[in-house]
Amino acid sequence: MLHVADLAKQHSRASRPLFSALGFTIAAGEIVALVGESGVGKSTLLNCIAGLETADRGSIAIGPQALDIVALDETARAALRARSIGFVFQAFHILPTLTVAQNIAVPLLLCGLPAGEHAARTRALLERVGLASFGPRWPASLSGGELQRVAIARALVHHPALVLADEPTGNLDPRTAGEVLALLLERVREQHTSALVVTHSQHVAQCCDRILTLTPDGLLE
Amino acid sequence: MQALSRLSWWLIRAQFTTRRAATLLSMLAVALGVALGYAIHLINDAALADFARAMKSVQGDPDAVIAARDSAGSVPLATLNAIARDPAVLVIAAVIETRVRIDNARTPVTLIGIDVFSAAAVMPDLLPRHNEQAAAPNLFNGGVYASPALLAKLAQRAPDSDSGARPGRTLTLVRGEQQWPATLAGDLPAARPDDLLLVADIAWVQERFGPVDAVSEGRVRLAPDSDLATWRKKWAQQLPAGLLIRVADDDSARVSNLSRAYRVNLNVLALVALLTGAFLVFATQLTSVAQRSTQFALLGVLGLSPRMRLLQVLLEGLAIGVPGALLGLGLGYALAVAFTRLLGGDLGGGYFAGSAPPIIPLPAPALVFLALGCLASLAGASYPAYLNRMQPLAQALKTGFAQQSHADTARATLPRLRLPLFLALAALALAQLPPLFALPLAGYAAIALVLVAGIASAPLLTQLLFGWLSAQALPAPQRIALQNVAQAPLMAQVAASGLIVSFALTASMVIMVSSFRVAVDQWLDHVLPAPLYLRSKATPLPQDLLAALAQPDAPFTRVERMANASLIIDPQRPQVALLVREIDRRDPAARLPVTGPLLAPPATTPAVWISEPMAEIYRLAPGQTLRLPLLGREIEVFIGGVWRDYGRQFGAVVISRQDYQQLGGDFQPTDLALWPRPGEEAHASAWLAPWADQYGLEVADSAEIRRLSLSIFDKSFAVTYALEAAAMLIGLFGLAVTLAASVWLRARELATLGALGFDRRMLSRAVMLEGALIATVGVLIGLACGVGIGAILTHVVNPQAFHWRMALAIPWAALVTGAAITLAAAVLASRHAARQATRLPVAQVLASAQ
Repeated sequence: MLHVADLAKQHSRASRPLFSALGFTIAAGEIVALVGESGVGKSTLLNCIAGLETADRGSIAIGPQALDIVALDETARAALRARSIGFVFQAFHILPTLTVAQNIAVPLLLCGLPAGEHAARTRALLERVGLASFGPRWPASLSGGELQRVAIARALVHHPALVLADEPTGNLDPRTAGEVLALLLERVREQHTSALVVTHSQHVAQCCDRILTLTPDGLLE
Repeated sequence: MQALSRLSWWLIRAQFTTRRAATLLSMLAVALGVALGYAIHLINDAALADFARAMKSVQGDPDAVIAARDSAGSVPLATLNAIARDPAVLVIAAVIETRVRIDNARTPVTLIGIDVFSAAAVMPDLLPRHNEQAAAPNLFNGGVYASPALLAKLAQRAPDSDSGARPGRTLTLVRGEQQWPATLAGDLPAARPDDLLLVADIAWVQERFGPVDAVSEGRVRLAPDSDLATWRKKWAQQLPAGLLIRVADDDSARVSNLSRAYRVNLNVLALVALLTGAFLVFATQLTSVAQRSTQFALLGVLGLSPRMRLLQVLLEGLAIGVPGALLGLGLGYALAVAFTRLLGGDLGGGYFAGSAPPIIPLPAPALVFLALGCLASLAGASYPAYLNRMQPLAQALKTGFAQQSHADTARATLPRLRLPLFLALAALALAQLPPLFALPLAGYAAIALVLVAGIASAPLLTQLLFGWLSAQALPAPQRIALQNVAQAPLMAQVAASGLIVSFALTASMVIMVSSFRVAVDQWLDHVLPAPLYLRSKATPLPQDLLAALAQPDAPFTRVERMANASLIIDPQRPQVALLVREIDRRDPAARLPVTGPLLAPPATTPAVWISEPMAEIYRLAPGQTLRLPLLGREIEVFIGGVWRDYGRQFGAVVISRQDYQQLGGDFQPTDLALWPRPGEEAHASAWLAPWADQYGLEVADSAEIRRLSLSIFDKSFAVTYALEAAAMLIGLFGLAVTLAASVWLRARELATLGALGFDRRMLSRAVMLEGALIATVGVLIGLACGVGIGAILTHVVNPQAFHWRMALAIPWAALVTGAAITLAAAVLASRHAARQATRLPVAQVLASAQ
């Protein structure tokens, strides 16, 4: 689950806050879409939730233990991300020098899972995203849709409490986008994980359980 | 932790497979640095140990040695007898050492007279073995015993007969014009394989070669319960002024001092090689971090902690350093073995001539050099690791490597000048400091600071030069190249810094070697005034030759005689040369290359003129008086001036023949300077030839000596040219690698230009111009730093390490040519990057940038 309360952020050179007093909750197993115009602060909000940018005020509680990522130091934020958050990006961000299986295993290694366990879990996830035979392949030989499937597997392999997806279908053609979205939602629901999906696509937003709209005046539901 | 190690290993392996050439080159550079340092250490250790063994073999293992401080002096038997009566002394072995030639051989050998009974206790390696089968007298009846090396040499000299090394054979021992027959009676089984020694009974030697009622040395073994320090202190106060007591510590300190500066200089060269390795690791890791910034950012987003991101880059550096250093250890051992076989234990330095010591690697030094290699690679990787640690994750994930923006770096000129100016001033201050521990450590530190000041000034110069250029009306590709450099200051600085360091080191070596060569050339002019020179190796010239030269029919207008001896001023330092010359007390500058003020000596005081090394080592100056250990006593002499000497690194004192003889010295010339009658040069040489043959003398004309001296000089600096070439190649490699990385980082921007209509030639030209501009900055700063470092090497390092002073002579033509060649090579090196820019898959790059 994710609980955001009284969150405020202002860029150092900006004349007014990007957002202030933001608050919302995403329950366990709930998938929420975050929409809004360009420049309104969606990515900054996502970065704050991931602990990649620091909020000026407020709290962001993640996972069953409700750890406040705003209050943590850099190392603890990294540890919380490794344990409790999965990421899916528009540009896939698959490490080109590791094989598909190794890419998926990265979060398990960051969580410190023993070597014996991660091979089995990686294999299982590859099967769940329809890439059972892709483990030893190099990312350069995969299509965009396949790369995003790998990214979904990597986001879920360590059973995170929260998945943050930033325009997960933005780089894909409509048919592949539909397949990838369906897969993402299905797997997230299957794991009973919370998810926040940032998107410009009305279709993607409609597929989620709830839609939050970020505006210069605040968050609308 | 095990899981993280696995991830780390995956990333290291990926780094090795994707950046194979750069990684391998960095590894080789680390290996080279470690190899050079380790080889120098191994060779030096072996040479010192070998030298110590050689001393022990000839000198034995006494607790102390009583010797004269003047090589022409001796220890009176009365003094030895007094010491022998001391209850603290167990045994004292008297020894007479002299140099003789055997038959007509040119190379003299050492003849040692021993008392076989006392020698057995103190110098067991010198005990002779009588050949029972030979009909030869034994030790007490005039038999002489040769070392195995000398026997081999004798056999070689007479290969057609078995008489050469046959026991019972009569040898003619020659010293000056005096000759004595001696019978070869056996060998010295315990002598070292390369010692050329003859051993005879001390009385037999004394009767023929002197000195009367005295010996060369007394070697003392103390009673087991005696304290050496107390005993030494007691006897040091009682001995006559011309004698000294040497102990084992003095000998090892003297041997170590002999080659210390040379060793340290070679070690500094090895350190430069290691730093070059560190620089290559730095360039490789920085470009690698820049290229993989998105990947590292992703790992950070996924939960890799900042500390682990830092550690990962350090580990990758270490993964280059460990195999590099291990390879370096193997290579160093091989180099040490090869060098000692080719050049001897002193690497051609001339300190321990003739020895090829065995190389014995020990674990502790090997571990130290392994650690040094690892430290160098860690140092090289530390800044890229820090940058990786500090990358803003969200920004790096989106746009790649985040450099400091141009707006941030475009600060006012004056504040940006502060750091380079401060460093340059600090370097200047360090260059003024005296030697530390008798080494130019502050000078070396000043050189490092000059290099850092050069690198620190690169951004400012780039900004000034490129700012001015971009204000000019230029075609679009050129303008883009200028803007690119201005907006990527870090990459430009990295690329330029390699060239700054390599060109500065190259230019400084060229300046130092040129200054030195000019100085040696001028010095040779002064020290070789005569057309012909004749010398005898260590034994006095025959009197009949000197008499013949004095006859009116000798084809010479002028003959100047010189005698060489040596003095011990400080038992822990190498001996000082004593040169007795026919010199005019009122005009010593006529024969000596005097460098400072010349002071007229008081009429009643003997005068000496000391060499620059002597003045520096013993901190002496003209006008001072010096108590010189001469002719068995301490004589107060007046220092009339200082003269330049590149021939004797540990000091020399010149005294006039008149003063020397007035002090009671026996002037026995060993060298002659000869002026043939005009037009009779060939006749003069022919006149000397039979004398040279008969007495094994060396005759050379001044042109030949000059040619030989300069050829030895050039050979001894030949290795520096190889180092300069290596430094330049590494600098150019750094430029090529960094430019290629810079192109890779700006792929989107270049692809956009391609999409907008820039053809391949325009893109290629833009990148090559960028390379040329960065190289211009690098070479300009490198040249300035090179002149500065050249001045430090010439005026600080050379005088402090080797006591050689000289004027700075900058070979501008060579430097400008070198700069032009470097610029041309830099443009060629940037072709690789330019080709990359033209091969960018424009559509793919633009698609991935969406």
